[in-house]
Amino acid sequence: MRGVFCETLGSPDDLVLREAEDPSSPGEGEVAIDLEVRGISYTDLLMVAGRYQVKPELPFVVGGQAAGRIAEIGPGVSGYAPGDPVLAGGGCIERVVMRAERVTRLPDGVGLAEAASFGANYATALYALQRGRLQAGETLLVHGAAGGVGLAAVDVGKLMGARVIATASTDAKLAVVGDMGADHLINYTNGFREQVKALTGDRGADVIYDPVGGDVFDESMRCVALFGRILIVGFTGGRPALAKTNHLLIKDAEAIGFTIGALERHDPAWAERNRRVLLDWLASGRIHPYISHRVPLSRTADALRLIANREVIGKVVVVND
Amino acid sequence: MKGVFCEELGTPDSLVLRDVEDPGPPGPGEVAVDLEARGLSFADLLVISGGYQVKRPLPFVVGGESAGRIAAVGPGVTDFQAGDTVLTGGGCIERIVTGADNVTPLPGHVDLVTAASFRSNYATALYALQRGRLRAGETLLVHGAAGGVGLAAVDVGKLMGARIIATAGTDEKLAVVREMGADHVINHGDGFREQVKALTGGRGADVIYDPVGGDMFDESMRCIAPFGRLLIIGFTSGRPALAKTNHLLIKDAEAIGLRIDAMIRDDPARAARNERVLLGWLASGRIHPYVSHRLPLSRTPEALQLIADRQVIGKVVIVND
Repeated sequence: MRGVFCETLGSPDDLVLREAEDPSSPGEGEVAIDLEVRGISYTDLLMVAGRYQVKPELPFVVGGQAAGRIAEIGPGVSGYAPGDPVLAGGGCIERVVMRAERVTRLPDGVGLAEAASFGANYATALYALQRGRLQAGETLLVHGAAGGVGLAAVDVGKLMGARVIATASTDAKLAVVGDMGADHLINYTNGFREQVKALTGDRGADVIYDPVGGDVFDESMRCVALFGRILIVGFTGGRPALAKTNHLLIKDAEAIGFTIGALERHDPAWAERNRRVLLDWLASGRIHPYISHRVPLSRTADALRLIANREVIGKVVVVND
Repeated sequence: MKGVFCEELGTPDSLVLRDVEDPGPPGPGEVAVDLEARGLSFADLLVISGGYQVKRPLPFVVGGESAGRIAAVGPGVTDFQAGDTVLTGGGCIERIVTGADNVTPLPGHVDLVTAASFRSNYATALYALQRGRLRAGETLLVHGAAGGVGLAAVDVGKLMGARIIATAGTDEKLAVVREMGADHVINHGDGFREQVKALTGGRGADVIYDPVGGDMFDESMRCIAPFGRLLIIGFTSGRPALAKTNHLLIKDAEAIGLRIDAMIRDDPARAARNERVLLGWLASGRIHPYVSHRLPLSRTPEALQLIADRQVIGKVVIVND
């Protein structure tokens, strides 16, 4: 089977597509899965560059979240049959063997591409908005709204009853964000503070979802409402900002940091509950993961370049050749 | 009658004790209150130097929170009668006339010095620990624990079932803090991070209550537990810190700004509920406001200087000459 490996840290150009030995048959409590689709994210780009908080050992398979079909079942596993569609991990490789409890069966009617693309982004968005205690009727400002985690926050925020103001850097991206249901769109190349103030009768946004950081965070501090919550989702802008504690005090505001990985580790029950909620929403068509690019396994590096060049809207997925 | 006035912004020695005309009799809906005790705080020191967020027009009476007895009631006032002990505002002056709705009846056996000393400190502590969602069994780290808002947080935190680690600058202060119920005390002269880590098995504190800011805040960010909450109460160090958003993210931590006056303005129902809770606790002896100094009205500047020199433990109260 083939896989895409990171053998030295660097850029997408350094990735290697090569043959690897098939994994052995599933053991006790395990299943083998033929992967068909993998979601690729900004995090994967950081990992390849060695700039992510978590550093996997070299060499590693690029990517993580993936969807496919059960190929084989190990002893002691029940509830699965070959051909069942599942959500799994594994990334840009053709077959994985993993513990059955780490695999989630997909409900009928959910496409594998949607399933592979939605997991991390929507889990992040839902958990973030829970941490931010978003209430129906509040104003949610989503930055980087055309990116994977941003677009998911627009989608989930609308479902939670918020009024959503979304920012992105091009009108083409904003058009997709508008289709996703954002109430107001701001092209933030010329800033966003004044427009957010104008749209909220000068109050500012109650919850600000910020995967960008840097200048965007600094400007956000100037248009957060009293008792507002700024969610520190990440730093795609490259610079983690410094939050002025006197501004937080004057605004009675909160700067809330989180990583979805820590939720899995510290509160797996919460993580599992959220996964079930999201799968249910996906199956019933209440959320709408957006995929702008589908790239074959042999061109995985292109998928990462699309992310690096900020061309992806929502998600890029890697399918089999 | 006498009052202590700030006629120009500056230091405590520029304050003026002078005679002013008695206020007239209370009008409809008003009461006259003979003040007997006034609590002074670090905020009052900031106000007279012009360094507080809220600026008062000159000249103004020094101080605010006060306790006294009803002297007379105006037409239409039925909730009070002469001689009732009450909490109100007014500060360092002998008599005020104010709307009956600015006056809170005190349980009969609560002495006026204690009553005047507790209100804003305990309201701040309770509100802060609510904002920080402190739960029984969690570890609460209180900085500036011998100061008014700090000591109140130790007291309320214990009542809420937390394990308390408290820091202060002298062993004399720490002795009072320990008597208030702190489980562990740290003289922060040599830092506190390593001791907090050691006391929490390397985890750090769940909630950190920080009225100091500056270096204390920076060091606090290095001993906060995963999912911890750092409460931004004020900046007695004189330097508001900058919170590193990447540290908040890695720790899944929150930096929460709060001001008691904003809460009173924006959520008066909550303010009233908290006050009822605190008065109930005070009347039943479950909280223990601490007053290190009582000075007569004529020595008000000295009281403020004690605050400036960090000599006060808990509270300094101004009584009548």
